[in-house]
Amino acid sequence: MKNIIEAKYFDGQSSASQQISIVYDETINELCLQTLDGVSFIWQSEDLQFEQYDSLLEIRNKNYSGAILKIDNKDFSQKFYESMKQNKRVDIHTRLLNLGFSKIIAIAACLLGLIVLAYFYVLPPLAEKSAELLPESFDNEIGNTFMEAFLNESEVDNEKTKYIEQFASELNLGNTKPLHFTVVKSDEVNAFALPNGQIVVYTAILNNMENSDELVALLGHEASHVNNRHSTKMLCRNLAGYMIVSLLFSDVNGIMAVIAGNAQELHSLSYSRKFEQEADEQGLKILMNNNVNPNGIVKLFEQLEKENKFSVPQIISTHPLTKERKENMQKIISESIYEITPNGNLTSLFEHLKK
Amino acid sequence: METSMTQNINQTENYHLEFFGKGSEYFAIMIVNWLLTLITFGFYYPWARAKRLRYVYGQTALNNERFHFAGTGKEMFRGFIKIILFYIAVIALYILLLKVVKSPALAILFLYLAIFAIIPFAIHGSFRYRMSRTSYRGIRFGYRGNRNEFVKNFFKWVLFTILTLGIYSAWLQMNIRRYTHTNIRYGDVEFSNNCSGGEWFILNLKGYFLTLITLGIYIFWWQRDIFNYYINNMEMTKGEQEIACYSTATGGGFFALLMGNLLIIVFTLGFGKAWADMRTQKFICDNVKMEGNINLEEIHQTEEEYTNAFGEDAMDFFEIDLA
Repeated sequence: MKNIIEAKYFDGQSSASQQISIVYDETINELCLQTLDGVSFIWQSEDLQFEQYDSLLEIRNKNYSGAILKIDNKDFSQKFYESMKQNKRVDIHTRLLNLGFSKIIAIAACLLGLIVLAYFYVLPPLAEKSAELLPESFDNEIGNTFMEAFLNESEVDNEKTKYIEQFASELNLGNTKPLHFTVVKSDEVNAFALPNGQIVVYTAILNNMENSDELVALLGHEASHVNNRHSTKMLCRNLAGYMIVSLLFSDVNGIMAVIAGNAQELHSLSYSRKFEQEADEQGLKILMNNNVNPNGIVKLFEQLEKENKFSVPQIISTHPLTKERKENMQKIISESIYEITPNGNLTSLFEHLKK
Repeated sequence: METSMTQNINQTENYHLEFFGKGSEYFAIMIVNWLLTLITFGFYYPWARAKRLRYVYGQTALNNERFHFAGTGKEMFRGFIKIILFYIAVIALYILLLKVVKSPALAILFLYLAIFAIIPFAIHGSFRYRMSRTSYRGIRFGYRGNRNEFVKNFFKWVLFTILTLGIYSAWLQMNIRRYTHTNIRYGDVEFSNNCSGGEWFILNLKGYFLTLITLGIYIFWWQRDIFNYYINNMEMTKGEQEIACYSTATGGGFFALLMGNLLIIVFTLGFGKAWADMRTQKFICDNVKMEGNINLEEIHQTEEEYTNAFGEDAMDFFEIDLA
């Protein structure tokens, strides 16, 4: 059965429009265009491209450069769409769009949910596994680069560095790679470990300590970071996180990307708190293994508590709150059996370090 | 404006620019773009861009006939590959200078010059591409600028800008604008632009100081002056016939537009960007008016069809879409 419909036609040569009749059958595999002067020609569906604007349909033919057929008829527009869909002439974008607003949003929300789940539950173990695949030389390279830059702007206390090396050599820090110790002159109460096994201790934190147990606790904690390759794991985790975040938001807009970036930052902080806790617990074991009083770590935290008058809400702090860490340590100590053997060497070396 | 009106009063045509785009529709397009970009690990991006542009063009209508953007993701993907190839070449030469020639100063200089040198090529290429893919009532737009002439002028203007410690940049900007706009064609209609560096310089100087004095409030009126300057200098001619554009935008209008958009985006955590974009397009279309006597039904196709890949046009390495 043949149907006829009126349409507006631009021939691609002039901007003038003309009225035209279109004859088509139910399958709409071809459109027969008839002008008022009686000229008729056929448009095959495989040559056509179209745009839909509500009831308005604009059809273009790749063999008729510039020509446009405009049909304002909802019924025809729908039939034409179905026919093009059957002939596989509708791209995936248009198909998805034609599912309707709520379905699109639902699909998007599901996908987003899956990604968020993967981000929190699949990514961390995967990133840690990939960190294990990285060679130790990678850790050393990063550590060396950082240390070089750090030494450029810090003043090393050579004498104390010698003593702290001796102090550490008295201990079994459970390390698999050689550790190096450096004391840096600074008023900041701080210490950190680099992935190459370099542990840096600031003079201010040493001066605040009351006995050698605290220093053993500090070194044990930092050594645990190195032993567990926390920095490298963190790096892998952050890189993977940023990759996902940038993939997610590449085509949305700047503001969303910033929000997502900050969320990633916060999540990475909580991840680093997990590492701090791990280092606390293994550091405590190192204390006990060396027959040093485990309460050294509790005292160390008390010093830190005094220093940090301003308490930062836990969500934005890298380290878990000192008070909570201290309580966690006290709990483990109370449940453990340990032996304390005084070590004169440690005490005398500690005196040199405190001076 | 007034004089041309009275001269041709009998043949004056009516022009009405409209924008039909809806935030919800545009948002749906962006969501589908996002979905497809995500599952293709970003490779869908050029196709997503084409979809977005096609929507915005298709929802813009002059005298109830819609514009059309014919660019495809495939073409834009090709442009994207070209940029990547160019960057690889630049980086390779940079490393060569750094590691083999061992001259860091030369390497850095080369890097800056290479990135800077592509700017005029990219402007030329993107105008050619964008115009050739734009059509209205079946008649294509086109860009007839001469690449070598433009590149030569561009570097000359940049040199003047450096010599005048940046003051000439107002002239640089307007010269680029005048050159590119004057070379736009819509069928047998020629575009022209009367902007001048001097006026542009004064406009921005005034805008800058009044914004400072009013603690920023004048910025909306400065924005209005910029927009009006752009629009009021646009003209189209076809033989004896012409169309002059003028803007009806006000400072208050810009205030409502920009503050509204800011609130929409902030309070929807960015999801409202689609609605804000549609408001902006509508604002532009509502405030651009045209007067003149070119009959829009009597334009003839003059611009060659854009032949991709193997045509002469493809000789332009930077036929890419940047805007």
